[in-house]
Amino acid sequence: MQRRNLAVPVKLWALLWAILGISLTGNVVLTCVLTAAGFLYLAVQKNWRLLGGFALFYGVLALLLYLIRYYGLHMVVFSEFYVLMFWNLSPVFLVSWDLITTPPGELAAFLSRIHMPTAVILGLLVLFRFFPTMKAELGSVGRSMRNRGLTAPMRLLTHPAASCEYVLVPMLLRCLQLADQLSVSAVARGAETPGKRGSYYERKMDAMDWCQLALWPVVTVLFLWIGGMRL
Amino acid sequence: MIRMENVSFCYVDCDQGVKDINLTIHDGECVVLTGPSGGGKTTLTRLLNGLAPAYYPGSMEGHIFLDDTHLEMLPQYAVGRRVGSVFQDPKSQFFSSELAGEVAFACENYGMAREEIRSRTDAAIRTFFLEHLRGRSLDVLSSGEKQRVAIASVYALRPGVYVCDEPTANLDGEGAGQLAGGLKKLKDEGCTLVIAEHRLAWLSGIADRFLYLDGGRILWEKSPAEMARMSVGERENCGLREVTKSSFPMLPSPDSGAAFIRTESLSCKRKSNLIFHCLSLSFCAGEITAVTGRNGAGKTSLAMVLSGLWKESGGSVLIGGEKLRAAERRRRVWYSANDTGTQFFTNSVTEELLLGDHRSQPRLERARELLKQLGLYGYKDVHPATLSGGQKQRLSLACGILSGRDVLIFDEPTSGLDGGNMRIIADMLRGEADKGKTILVITHDRELIRRCCDCMVKIE
Repeated sequence: MQRRNLAVPVKLWALLWAILGISLTGNVVLTCVLTAAGFLYLAVQKNWRLLGGFALFYGVLALLLYLIRYYGLHMVVFSEFYVLMFWNLSPVFLVSWDLITTPPGELAAFLSRIHMPTAVILGLLVLFRFFPTMKAELGSVGRSMRNRGLTAPMRLLTHPAASCEYVLVPMLLRCLQLADQLSVSAVARGAETPGKRGSYYERKMDAMDWCQLALWPVVTVLFLWIGGMRL
Repeated sequence: MIRMENVSFCYVDCDQGVKDINLTIHDGECVVLTGPSGGGKTTLTRLLNGLAPAYYPGSMEGHIFLDDTHLEMLPQYAVGRRVGSVFQDPKSQFFSSELAGEVAFACENYGMAREEIRSRTDAAIRTFFLEHLRGRSLDVLSSGEKQRVAIASVYALRPGVYVCDEPTANLDGEGAGQLAGGLKKLKDEGCTLVIAEHRLAWLSGIADRFLYLDGGRILWEKSPAEMARMSVGERENCGLREVTKSSFPMLPSPDSGAAFIRTESLSCKRKSNLIFHCLSLSFCAGEITAVTGRNGAGKTSLAMVLSGLWKESGGSVLIGGEKLRAAERRRRVWYSANDTGTQFFTNSVTEELLLGDHRSQPRLERARELLKQLGLYGYKDVHPATLSGGQKQRLSLACGILSGRDVLIFDEPTSGLDGGNMRIIADMLRGEADKGKTILVITHDRELIRRCCDCMVKIE
């Protein structure tokens, strides 16, 4: 199903309040209030994938926390410290992950509205393109290596350095090549034009945006009031 | 109108370039630049779109006029407004992961008002029939669709001139057909087109003039009628490909009795997506089999399964009468992908050929001979990444031949090659088949099929 993204300023606003909340709180366990607000925030945006995945993770954390508190569970690898840390930081993870998975076009539109220089906006767009492209390239390097018999287990064990080189060298060269082609494509399409950049997307604030805008400070202030502050 | 007067250009870091170009291109005309690789076609397109010397530094003499303004006086972004550019590889020019953002990219850069951007973008999407792709990620489109998105993105700016540098180098036959439709539309709207290209047949009906460049100079100029009258011998001397679309060659299917490699009700599934189902095919030793079929029919997937890079999800593959698992097939079957960007691992062409094997005298001898045949001997010590696209395709072929495997599969080995190199590859493949290798070529290249293939398999 299509996601229905909130306006970028609202997302930043939510992130700000979530960070404020968890850094000032004196009651670590009570951060579940903020996480609940985070889940609501994902639900209104119909971001079901992130919501589902994170809910599962959070459920496991809750179970571990319960076992630690009442049954004295002690794990060597994933100790109480980490459980509590993840529990505590969950609202920030939720909100920031939602922010960085916003379609790049909408982020770019927001940045150009606040008069961010074009170079910064293009840099951001390239960054967002970079990872999916590199993932595809890595897959194709792996295929070529298998085709040429460079992935035989014996070979990987006896020549570990050479095997790393076989992956790294084509990847680095491909990076350079992609960088060059992308810059040419940008330059040929007027990326060096001085002045403010336009944008295809524009999001007007609607009722849902205003609701979320009001919700976050209210929830955070209530949470700090009930849970107490560290100061 | 574009006018070039005594233009010479030489790149800073090498001695390639163009010399003494005098050329007038009228409004609404479509001029095709052709000639062997490295002849100066690309440089000429870069001069016209201002990328040389603005992005590719070099020394330039002479003058280029665009409707009586000096092109070299304009800043690059002003040139880009009037001269749109389309490049070889569409997938590495995208700045956005979805259609509208990509088509709007150039308009956004020029800081147009939002209403203007929206109307231009939507019009461009409609004009190139891309409406149905709106919700999809650009990464999953076919190469022909990607190239159409790239043109739509330039079209949104409404430049009067379009400069295309080998726009079909990464396209299959169907993609080239789609591209031809797009360019025809531009021409009908009165735009000027300058196209540097090896494949000429798809341009019939669009091109008004052919210029032949070699050694950085324009050697001759012909009308489409004159081009069509060139004899096969003349064309081969110039290293040109066919000019008019010939009929698709019809070849017999391979003889299933004498098959060396055989599939039995083979099927392939990727992520619950059924790619092909119940394929029973045979390929014979000593023959070159052309594997054809429309885009997305599963030709490349079939090659992946045959070569053991993917596992089959049903059925079996028999080589020499023996049923082999994927890992065993990898030792018997060679696969050269169409994308050569990630196929090379060492730091010289010679090392690349000898990679992973012991170096005996006969092998070295054979490698040297192959490089000479493929015209790569002069590059034996250079880094594979610095080779041109066509040279990489030839190197990949040489690696396959030297791997000593019985079955060789090549995926569109001639997509970016001029006529001369296409013929060299065809003759090399013929030679290997005559030595008893089983060769499969996934291709749409009619000339290649006609020149070297014995039989044909069509994947539906």
